[in-house]
Amino acid sequence: MRELFPAKQVMGFVFSLILTIAALLVYYLDMSFTAGMTLLLITAFIQAGLQLIVFMHAGETKDKGSIYTNIYFGVFVALVTILGTLLCMIWGYI
Amino acid sequence: MKIDNSLPLEYSTEENSLKVLGFWIFLGAEIMLFGTLFATYFTLVDRTAGGPDSAELFEIAPVLIETFLLLASSFTIGLGIHAMRLGRKKAMMAFFGITLLLGLGFLSVEIYDFVMYVHEGATIQTSAFTSILFTTLGTHGAHVTLGFFWGLFIILQVKKRGITPQNANKAFIFSLYWHFLDVVWIFIFSFIYLKGMM
Repeated sequence: MRELFPAKQVMGFVFSLILTIAALLVYYLDMSFTAGMTLLLITAFIQAGLQLIVFMHAGETKDKGSIYTNIYFGVFVALVTILGTLLCMIWGYI
Repeated sequence: MKIDNSLPLEYSTEENSLKVLGFWIFLGAEIMLFGTLFATYFTLVDRTAGGPDSAELFEIAPVLIETFLLLASSFTIGLGIHAMRLGRKKAMMAFFGITLLLGLGFLSVEIYDFVMYVHEGATIQTSAFTSILFTTLGTHGAHVTLGFFWGLFIILQVKKRGITPQNANKAFIFSLYWHFLDVVWIFIFSFIYLKGMM
């Protein structure tokens, strides 16, 4: 039974629960918008990285380089889309 | 068919390795899809047109239940793949089964949440905010629904044919998809729900 619960994945799960609870602080504590968003950005991106490395085994084969390049490219395009949209639809008019 | 025994079963042929890489490229495209949805959401979040805004609409309890169900399901599918690599067919099927039940629990809470929104007067037609809210959440929910049936068929195939290089490859790719849905949910949880209730 024990070998079905590898320590690495159990620790990964516990850590992801801790990150979720850390993110919840923005709801339960009275924080400024900047502090709250900073905390959310940090916890969300660590959480995503954790899933990718611990659970999705992104780095375990010779295709590691291609996989990471592709993910970075996807994230880059998504961030440019989001920040660019905000720039021309919201931030440019404040 | 050349079988490389130094790698886990799901990578054991060249075709299998390429399928895994191909699925990662698909996930890259999915990141961009959800990127555009988030971009639109952040643009329209304050356009409530007299309808409810995010602070009025969102409630913490259902969101927390959804988050923990999906996090747990991401963990159990990881254990399922681990069991598969040990060649433990029964354990693998049990973990996949638990994963799908957790996924079903997630969907039930999400549907309940949608019904509550509509009762509070926030339908997809109410405002720009509710339109993009339902579109973003709905796109994620539709992915989970698809994943549920996909996973169901994986379990049936493993039950019928056992853990073969082909089935292991399919199961591994399904696990990538499921983990990815959890990653998307983390961003929905953080930047739609928590930001909206902050």
